[in-house]
Amino acid sequence: MLIPVFAAAHNISGANARFVEGLDGPAVIPYMYLGAKHMVTGYDHLLYLLGVVFFLLRLKDVLLYVSLFTLGHSITLMGGVLLEWNVNAYLVDTVIGLSVAYKAFENINGFKQVFGFQLNARAAVLIFGLFHGLGLATKLQDLSLATDSLVINMLSFNVGVEIGQALALACIVVILGQWRQRSSFQKQAFAANTVLMSLGFILAGYQFSAYFWA
Amino acid sequence: MNTKTSDTVVLQTGKRSVLLASLLAFILAVVVLGAFILPAEFNRDPLGVGEALGIAGLSQPAAVSAETVRKEEGAFHQDSVSFQLLPFEFVEYKYELSKGSSMLYRWTVTKSRGGEASAVSFDFHGESHEVEDYEENYSLGEGDHEGGTFIAPFDGIHGWFWANHGAEAVTVKLSTTGFYTESLEFRDGFVKKQKLK
Repeated sequence: MLIPVFAAAHNISGANARFVEGLDGPAVIPYMYLGAKHMVTGYDHLLYLLGVVFFLLRLKDVLLYVSLFTLGHSITLMGGVLLEWNVNAYLVDTVIGLSVAYKAFENINGFKQVFGFQLNARAAVLIFGLFHGLGLATKLQDLSLATDSLVINMLSFNVGVEIGQALALACIVVILGQWRQRSSFQKQAFAANTVLMSLGFILAGYQFSAYFWA
Repeated sequence: MNTKTSDTVVLQTGKRSVLLASLLAFILAVVVLGAFILPAEFNRDPLGVGEALGIAGLSQPAAVSAETVRKEEGAFHQDSVSFQLLPFEFVEYKYELSKGSSMLYRWTVTKSRGGEASAVSFDFHGESHEVEDYEENYSLGEGDHEGGTFIAPFDGIHGWFWANHGAEAVTVKLSTTGFYTESLEFRDGFVKKQKLK
């Protein structure tokens, strides 16, 4: 199986892939590790999470939004793998890039200012969670999982994803909390979300180019 | 400066600044993509910047050379030998190859009298120079031919053991080409070393 090393922004790397493909039967810890690693080193998912929690002041809201995101991506991760959906990884990753840009645009109150309406933020995080899960599914499907222990390995991967997400979020929330207390936060927040939007466009453009040329 | 809509707080901004920021974000993205990412990752250079910076095609040759081209410094050799094996006779023929060096090989077995194909037992293996008594098997079984590419996994001698278990005399013919330095023939308790020119 071909694993494009350079073209795909964020795949499970060659050596890791060969390792798990060589495994037979259930492999809970390796798949959990891969899921966690994919999340912690996955800048596309991390940037989106950063955008989502950027202005969430209460821990309760952080938990609510992250739970919705988790619900969304777990549905499509498991659905995609079990039903063997054959979605194009590059196109899914393009949408994931756009989700970053969308969230940054929403953070600077873009929808209200430019289009005069506000999207339901909770629905949006659930829907984009579905796309992020599709992206996770394509990465897991790349590993040509053995069918005999597909479910347990997939669940392990999913649990690993949540562990990685919790670790990454803890860092993001702590740093944001410190940042918010500075007087310069308001001004910097606008600039930061502009940069975030640009990064989202870059990710989307990169993946869309890969769809044609990789 | 913050305004609360449902659970999220968003920045209180003006339409002008939002449009300006979005335009800036988009232009920045297009420039980074056009100037750096497209040339470096996909060998497309719409602005010519990739060429000027020397990053055009950065990923392609690296990916290709790692997979399909393997440079060799040593001398290039070709060798062709044949052995006649009477029933229950055997021979061993090996090449001196250092780690990472490659060779192409093909051997066939025919009946010495009739010229038609005939099977022998074979064992393609290597013996290490560094670790005493270390042997590794690459391919073994019964057959009348085999061919392929070999890349030596360690410094040592690498080659074949052929044994004729049939009732008729057979001829094993081996042709190779590669970056080996000498050949060794083990037969009837003698070793014949030959430096290859």
